[in-house]
Amino acid sequence: MTPGDDEARLRAAMVEAHREDARRMPRFETTWDPVRRPRTQRATWRWAVLSTVALAAAVGGWLVARPKPTPAPWPVVGTRWVGPTDFLLETPDQITLRSLPTLAPRGFP
Amino acid sequence: MASLELERQIAALHPASFAWALACTRWNAADAEEVLQSAYLSILEGRARFDGRSTFRTWLFAVVRNIAARARRRRWLESREPWRALLGASAPDPVEPVLAEERGARVRRALGTLPARQREVLDLVFFHEMTVEEAAEVMGVSIGTARTHYHRGKLRLLALLGTEDLP
Repeated sequence: MTPGDDEARLRAAMVEAHREDARRMPRFETTWDPVRRPRTQRATWRWAVLSTVALAAAVGGWLVARPKPTPAPWPVVGTRWVGPTDFLLETPDQITLRSLPTLAPRGFP
Repeated sequence: MASLELERQIAALHPASFAWALACTRWNAADAEEVLQSAYLSILEGRARFDGRSTFRTWLFAVVRNIAARARRRRWLESREPWRALLGASAPDPVEPVLAEERGARVRRALGTLPARQREVLDLVFFHEMTVEEAAEVMGVSIGTARTHYHRGKLRLLALLGTEDLP
């Protein structure tokens, strides 16, 4: 038997070994689609996470860097504050005390 | 490579890839399909990238082979987990399913007795029509090593088939 015969024999044997392959082979789509679909879902999920993080970073950055509003100056109030119980201090004598008569200089008749 | 072009090339090679995956998993169709699916996934996710240093087929076969080898290792490790022994559970039975086609089954049994590398190089050369150099690339070994496995495998398989009624 020549080496060529041996090789032909081995080739034929291999074909025999693989004869059932086609019958057992899953369709390409059956193998391909399940791995492609999760990839799309993963990509969508990844985009959702990235978008949320980017949005949070943008909002945070804006909050930190936004121009601070200058505090409003205290209003200058020109009126005197009057407490709600101040009326209790208003006594009849107060008027008297505030309006003491001016004493005449000594020696005035 | 554009994803549509990639998909087209993978689809064109699907039957050959499945045949190769079968050879890598000792003709277990369920394992072969799982290996092929993992290979496609790792290509889609970019973990396996075609860099044009070999033909697309050689590269794809190498990816399939690596994933089959990893799956084999994982199963081997799982079968040695102590809790399995305690529970009396056994690893998945690698017994080849009985096939109606008896002659093919005899060849597969003969191939099954060969060391993995001899089996692989013979399959690549005699079924997938690769050169020994291409087979070496797929197997990730030097050309010299592939040649040694090729010659030893050839002699051993011929001896095993010697008494068989094969064409």
